[in-house]
Amino acid sequence: MAGTERLFAPAFRYQRLGRLFVAITVIMVYIATFAMAAEAGLSSLGLTRGEDLQGRLTVEIPAPADESATSQDSRIDQALAVLRAVPGVARAAPLSDADIARLLKPWISDPDLIAKLPLPALIDVQRAPGAALTADALEAKLKPVAPGAQVEDQAAWLGDVAQFIKSLAVLAGVMIVLTGLALVIAIGLICRAVMATERETVTLLHIMGASDAAIAGHFQYHALRLARGAAALGFVLALLSLAALLFALRHVIDLGAMPLWREVELILLLILVPLAAIGAAVLAARHTVFALLHTA
Amino acid sequence: MFLSFDHVSLDYGASHPALADISFHLPPGGFAFLAGPSGAGKSSLLRLIYGAEKPSEGTIMLFGRDSAGLDRAEWTDCRRKIGVVFQDFRLVPYLSALENVALPLKLAGVREDYTRRHAAELLAWVGLGDRLEAKPAELSGGEQQRAAIARAVVHKPKLLLADEPTGNIDDETAIKLLYLFVEINKTGTAVLLASHQQHLVERFGKPALRLKGGRLIPPAAKAA
Repeated sequence: MAGTERLFAPAFRYQRLGRLFVAITVIMVYIATFAMAAEAGLSSLGLTRGEDLQGRLTVEIPAPADESATSQDSRIDQALAVLRAVPGVARAAPLSDADIARLLKPWISDPDLIAKLPLPALIDVQRAPGAALTADALEAKLKPVAPGAQVEDQAAWLGDVAQFIKSLAVLAGVMIVLTGLALVIAIGLICRAVMATERETVTLLHIMGASDAAIAGHFQYHALRLARGAAALGFVLALLSLAALLFALRHVIDLGAMPLWREVELILLLILVPLAAIGAAVLAARHTVFALLHTA
Repeated sequence: MFLSFDHVSLDYGASHPALADISFHLPPGGFAFLAGPSGAGKSSLLRLIYGAEKPSEGTIMLFGRDSAGLDRAEWTDCRRKIGVVFQDFRLVPYLSALENVALPLKLAGVREDYTRRHAAELLAWVGLGDRLEAKPAELSGGEQQRAAIARAVVHKPKLLLADEPTGNIDDETAIKLLYLFVEINKTGTAVLLASHQQHLVERFGKPALRLKGGRLIPPAAKAA
């Protein structure tokens, strides 16, 4: 028999408070899911870039201006020989044409055009663990065989980028917390409004011998019922938006770079958002009702 | 003591207290009217019993306990032994008659099948066996009050409090309702029934506590 589960239902259902509850939950879950995706994505970016680039240097050998000069291939071979002889260099390998084409793809997608351009040759150098190898020292050693060669130490700019990414991730985390707080406050206010609307029924239930927990239980029931659907809707909308965003940025963001375990972790983290929102909604409803009953 | 007031006063801070120096007791299974004109303090006295108000002075003993020492959980337990009928019925408007009557049992966690059967039986007993699914707005005043009485006794309370239960209905229906209270009393439930309708109180020949201006009028003074 239906009955007690319908207590307070009209206040939630017909007086726009329920719709407000649903709208706020949808929006909060949407924002929080986005923030969580950003947080996890940025953390992952920092992690993978850090692993990839830490301890690496890039040697850039400009294309010869004079065709009669020593050929570019010969300069590369000589440079490689010099680099491999330097103590502290674990590995030195030239980037293939395919690698360079991949790096240039966001700007130049035509392989024929890339082949015609006087692009510098690139050599990827891996520093041996613990080696005190500087870009200036390498440049000095390369000068006799490859004049004009430039060496870029990835660690130099990587620190700044990593710090920036970390700041963005922290910002996203703060956004998630603030969104959660806003949700709890909004649901608390809605429950207060319902309590005010249903004051007579609450008093009646008390007179009948309903415990505070029983009355709070009714609010929790409605909060759960409304938050469940709203959180699911907000989550699905956020996923669709994320998918659309990633599709639009598919040329800029290389999704294949993320390891599988990070993808699984990201999905689990995202699923936590609607679940946490439902839990927060139910707890906010319970806490509000208890607080009001004890101050009444 | 089942229910006793010992020099109880209730002061809202107005020019004179709502209740002053009230002393009486009601034994288990007893029946008493609480008579007096509007504003005499009948509702305030009942509110003190079910804990909606706290006395300014004096002691209220309820089911052997001093009500001043009851915490929230103990009040909840006490209220489950009390049934209350209000002048304005206070049925939950969006629940059916059956759901309204079943409410105290559902709140107490009683099994669904028993709740439904017992609530339906009680509604049949008060003459609403064919109105189980009717909403309060679809019932007449007398029917609503009968549903409210059924709700007040569905959990077999030890004490039934009725605050002007016949105040909003005609005399003929009121007399039928008052007989319902007498029948309930015969099952062992103590009844304290507030009414300003002197002729109805006298008709039943039951003990009556007479209130005026927040004070109990001694029987001798009434006779005088």
